[in-house]
Amino acid sequence: MTERLDGRLARLLAALAAFALLVAACGGSSDDTDDAAPEDETEAAEAEEEAEDDDVAEAGEEAEGDVDTEIEESTGERVVGGEIAVGLEAELPGMRPWEDTCASSCYNIFVTIYDKLMESTETGEYEPWLLESITPNEDFTEWVGTLRSGVTFHNGVDLTAQSLVDMFAIQQTGSQSQSQIAASNLATVEATGDLEVTYGLSQPNSAFPAYLSRAQLGMVFEPGAAADGDAFNAAPVGTGPFVFESRDLDNETIVTKNADYWGTDSDGTQLPYLDKISFRPIPDEGTRLDATLSGTTQVAHTLRQNTIRDSRAERDGGAEITLFEFQGNNVGGGMFNVLVPPFDDIRVRKALVQLTPQDQVIEALGGTGISLPGTQWFSPDSPWYSEAAAAAWPQFDFEAGKALLEEYVNDPERSDGKAVGEKIEYELSCPPDPTLIAAMQVGFEVATSTELVDINLTNYDQQTHINYALGADNGFVGSHGAHCWRFSDDNDPSTSLNPAFAPPTAEIAAAAGIPDVVSPLNFANYFDGDIFQAAIGAIRTDNFDERYALYESISLKIAEDVPVWWSGHTATALITDDAVMGLVSWELPSGTLGQGMPNAEGRWHQVWLAG
Amino acid sequence: MSDAFPQLETIPIPVATATEEVSASRFGWFRDMPILVKLSTGWLFLVVFGAIYAKLDESVFGGALPLQDPNLQTNNFNAETGEFGTGEPLEGPSASHWLGTDAIARDTFARLVHGAWVSLIVASVSATFGVVVGGLVGSLVGFVRGRFETVAMAVIDVILAFPALVLLLALVSIFEVRSLGLISFVIGVLSIPAYTRVARANSLAISNREFVLAAQAIGTRRRQILFREIIPNVLPTLLAYAMVAAAFVVVVEGTLSFLGLSVQLPQSTWGNMINQARRDLKVDISQVVWPSLALTLTVLALNQVGDYFQRRGAVRQSSL
Repeated sequence: MTERLDGRLARLLAALAAFALLVAACGGSSDDTDDAAPEDETEAAEAEEEAEDDDVAEAGEEAEGDVDTEIEESTGERVVGGEIAVGLEAELPGMRPWEDTCASSCYNIFVTIYDKLMESTETGEYEPWLLESITPNEDFTEWVGTLRSGVTFHNGVDLTAQSLVDMFAIQQTGSQSQSQIAASNLATVEATGDLEVTYGLSQPNSAFPAYLSRAQLGMVFEPGAAADGDAFNAAPVGTGPFVFESRDLDNETIVTKNADYWGTDSDGTQLPYLDKISFRPIPDEGTRLDATLSGTTQVAHTLRQNTIRDSRAERDGGAEITLFEFQGNNVGGGMFNVLVPPFDDIRVRKALVQLTPQDQVIEALGGTGISLPGTQWFSPDSPWYSEAAAAAWPQFDFEAGKALLEEYVNDPERSDGKAVGEKIEYELSCPPDPTLIAAMQVGFEVATSTELVDINLTNYDQQTHINYALGADNGFVGSHGAHCWRFSDDNDPSTSLNPAFAPPTAEIAAAAGIPDVVSPLNFANYFDGDIFQAAIGAIRTDNFDERYALYESISLKIAEDVPVWWSGHTATALITDDAVMGLVSWELPSGTLGQGMPNAEGRWHQVWLAG
Repeated sequence: MSDAFPQLETIPIPVATATEEVSASRFGWFRDMPILVKLSTGWLFLVVFGAIYAKLDESVFGGALPLQDPNLQTNNFNAETGEFGTGEPLEGPSASHWLGTDAIARDTFARLVHGAWVSLIVASVSATFGVVVGGLVGSLVGFVRGRFETVAMAVIDVILAFPALVLLLALVSIFEVRSLGLISFVIGVLSIPAYTRVARANSLAISNREFVLAAQAIGTRRRQILFREIIPNVLPTLLAYAMVAAAFVVVVEGTLSFLGLSVQLPQSTWGNMINQARRDLKVDISQVVWPSLALTLTVLALNQVGDYFQRRGAVRQSSL
């Protein structure tokens, strides 16, 4: 059992590195104090009242202050030909979907080379892309998909169901795909016809199609070419609308039009429209924006509110640029390591959240008027958003927070073992980004003004930051205290929320009677049996109302136990030259409008340059 | 003795003449300074005064000058008033904020003055380490020579061969505590090799000067020669070099701060002010300009003054 568990942990660890890179970086600030035990009836009543207030957005509707660019059909005349350069936030770690970490910058390139089996629509549902159809059995343990015919890889090999079977063998060895295989419960992939593939799951998963829309399991690569991973990394082969041409690391990745691409637009015009795209990693935000303003690039990619702010100012000042903005579920903030004192005590966690002036934190992040305040895993325009959870989330209350801290500090049984009256000490850590440094000092200022806490503000490089939270050397407990982090995404909630609240260590899993289920992705180390059961329940049904109720119960419990804190939802944008068209109007093969550019991930196959 | 070195009888041992020059006019040296050096000295005086004042303001001066709390976020919750402040981030210069405010509405002037303290301490500690340890080792090996010199200089060369900033980053990363004392100590220790080289070069030259040979010839003990002939003559050059090196150290500290590896937040330093303000360059460039200007002027001033004293210090004399 131990060996099995260790092996499993090792695989999950590898997967974690990928996931962590996706979610790390963070956006939030911090902490602390004060008073008045908040859990009395009066407060509960007030919370209910607040739930009905106007400032609590309705689920699924566009919230006030949201920045999303509206997705709509384009009536402009499509122009075939031309080339663009896209400035990206970061270079890709590698070109292998099963092995290399893939975040927002990476997706921009990957979607040109690889097609996905499924794709998300404007409403966040999943529709077939390279598949023509997919159907589950009654208990969601088997999914049968049919590939579209006549599709060939860039090297001329035909795409068949066997290709997916052979891909699965490679994915099982890939550090990125392994975690998704485990999380999705995927056990087998069989070719049940030339173009028919059957996915067998070890446990029910009604959200399985969501996994087929992401790089790790959903992006289709040529398994023959992938047999030599290093060679494939240098010359990746997919079925996508563009063919890999060259890659000069940290400088430029070039893709050119796939003349044999299977896709056409609604008028029957062969896709893609563009002849060539050059992706250039430009890490500095200002330089990347300036490159687009000066015409060096035609598109700038950003995940930063202050860059959106600066871009808006440039546009309003007459620059000929268009902002394609998006704000989804991804939310900044941080987590408390609930396995270490003083964060094992709910009073401290709640106090620190009550002492965090969220509006000021968002202002420090440069997100005023851009980022929506976070209250839960979902943003107000998500169908999963819960008004009740929003109302239940602790608001800034200095006196209440300070009182809670005093209660803890004066408790002879306080968990940190310090003497009564002694200050609480902890570390608040964020990656060394100026935006985060500013934000963390906002919470610091208020918390330390209670004179009940000593905070050690630290900044470690991103990888160290992740490793401290991971705790590979101490059974995944981690060595973090209060730790900046990013949470959530715009996939099905089960893909990110479920592993984030599964048992974090082998000991906790064993104590809960589920020794085989351990998730290093639970960075806060917070485990609650009810949350876990709700999360499992949510992937055993595809009834939205049932699933919504389960996720709402999770959100409410998180608001009660506060293992995390939130700053603002992450605003992202693709900032383009006015001539770049089609980023919001791309369609799926069915004619349904796609999701636009979530998390600044463009779909370049239907982009064209206005004449 | 005279038989062995008959020429000594006719060679006058150099005697200090500087005292006579100074006695002509106590401040003559200042009058003779080029204007740029005078201005530089003035700026350095301001920086030192500002740094000391900022540090001792409350405890010694009782808040006599209108220097604000460098960490007060004027738009954040104030526990004393129980309300949120009305300040604005990235405000322009005004009567209440002479150099405006930063991204979290803190007074930039106050942060700039407090930031000088970090630069001052780091530069001073580094110079002290360099002059005392590096000077002693360099003078010694230059005078003693032999196997000791070979070994000592090999060690120094190995340390010098390492890119200083990389070594600094590694050391600072290993010591996770970000205290001013630790940062100063690390930079100070890493300064020693450069001072050692300068001291050794001068020591080698001085060891062959007539008055040293004379001292040896008359049987003066080696330790006495080292401390009375070599080191006093190495020192002026070393002190002048310290000024120039201090400029480099200020920049190094700024670099560490910029990378988030210097003193712990929210303590302001010029480097971390630049780092934190670069995000808002397009909105308010002044928040980068002020600390950059302070850093540039200080480095320039240290170089000017250092060069000046280096020129003046090129006098070799004997005290024996």
